[in-house]
Amino acid sequence: MRRFACLLAVLAAASVLTPRDALAHCFVGGRFFPATLNIDDPCVADELSLPTVSSFKNGDDPAARELDVSAEFSKRITEQFGVSIGTTWTHLRPPGGPNASGFQNLETSFKYQFLTVPEQEFVMSASLDIEWGNTGAAGVGAESFTTYTPTLFLGKGFGGLPDSMRWARPFGITAQVGYSIPSSRSSNNIDPDTGDLDVELHPQFLNYGFSLQYSMPYLKSSVVDLGLPDFFNHLIPIVEANFQTPVANNFNTGIGTTGTINPGVIWVGNKFQVGLEAIVPINRASGSGVGVMAQLHLYLDDIFPNSIGRPLFGQSKPVTPVFGN
Amino acid sequence: MKPRHRTFLFFVLACGLAIAPAKTYAHAQLDHAEPPVGSTVKAPREVRMSFTQALEPRFSKAQLRSGGDKAIASGGVDPAQPTQMVIHVPNNLAPGTYKVRWQVMSVDSHPTQGNFTFTVQP
Repeated sequence: MRRFACLLAVLAAASVLTPRDALAHCFVGGRFFPATLNIDDPCVADELSLPTVSSFKNGDDPAARELDVSAEFSKRITEQFGVSIGTTWTHLRPPGGPNASGFQNLETSFKYQFLTVPEQEFVMSASLDIEWGNTGAAGVGAESFTTYTPTLFLGKGFGGLPDSMRWARPFGITAQVGYSIPSSRSSNNIDPDTGDLDVELHPQFLNYGFSLQYSMPYLKSSVVDLGLPDFFNHLIPIVEANFQTPVANNFNTGIGTTGTINPGVIWVGNKFQVGLEAIVPINRASGSGVGVMAQLHLYLDDIFPNSIGRPLFGQSKPVTPVFGN
Repeated sequence: MKPRHRTFLFFVLACGLAIAPAKTYAHAQLDHAEPPVGSTVKAPREVRMSFTQALEPRFSKAQLRSGGDKAIASGGVDPAQPTQMVIHVPNNLAPGTYKVRWQVMSVDSHPTQGNFTFTVQP
């Protein structure tokens, strides 16, 4: 234990004292990909989403009013590798009651940004996301089993489009696809009314999503400065979509594809961003009516550039710009 | 004050302190340029770019390139204005479209880069 505390102290000291270059949140060439609210962005960064608040009617029958308040902290271990930890507090208000509150399972993620091509505004990363079973409250739907989800991410900006399409250069996309694998294939429950044994299958899911974004900061700095009020030059209108489709161990479960589409806007500042999006369910199993989601997201690398905003290890030297002849 | 309100106030104060510490820097991004990004102008004497943060001169450069992507002039951080870069342009810049490429590092070592074009009218 003492050795572990000593190691932590050394890591903390190293993170504070070691001078090094830091690219940090999602800059790829001249492109900035903001932190998205529903899916994850394709970069590794030091950042804090606190809070993300969403309110909607969920897919239960009858639909319950659900309020989620979540937080996620992401920390770079090296320039390209980072970990994050997140949790969500849920309040359920079903029609006729009773209400229920509690935390969802703890979630962690280990992410590696393995490809960055600044000239193409292209970035890719891979992660292993783990939802730890039995760490949340069953009353709000937290599962008793752990789920592992290897996920692939990409981001691409369209700054390379020809002059005839220069108005489309601020467009960018991000996407992710993952495969979730529960730690157990099923669980057995006793029906409290009949006493019958009920076997609940735990399906494997394909999780996939994307965002389409139009960057007003990119429009101003790389395409044309329209002289708009400064507020508008910080906006990124965005549409996100996120889906889950059961692909294995789902025989006779009646579970189909669920997901939401989230149109909204993100205001990007130097040290933080604020996002606001609608939650539009794609079918009844995904929810009822239109919900809303908002997020305050802090760029820790810009707020604390000399301490917790730096990676713990690794030292990349500043590169002198070379443009060629 | 109710405990719930106290918690909310504490949260707002914590966020405020986190966002606005006494002295911090961030990524340097192009705020505006002269000639303006994407504009059509008479032949300029210089290209001046203003960034959101002070720049590290050793690792910040800019270049003016012709429509045929040939380097015409280079520039760097203005010693008198550490948030600005300047490229001194040769006389008689011919009509046409020109590209400005820049790559900078803010004083806290965050690198950023970008480019834009402007057009010199006949």
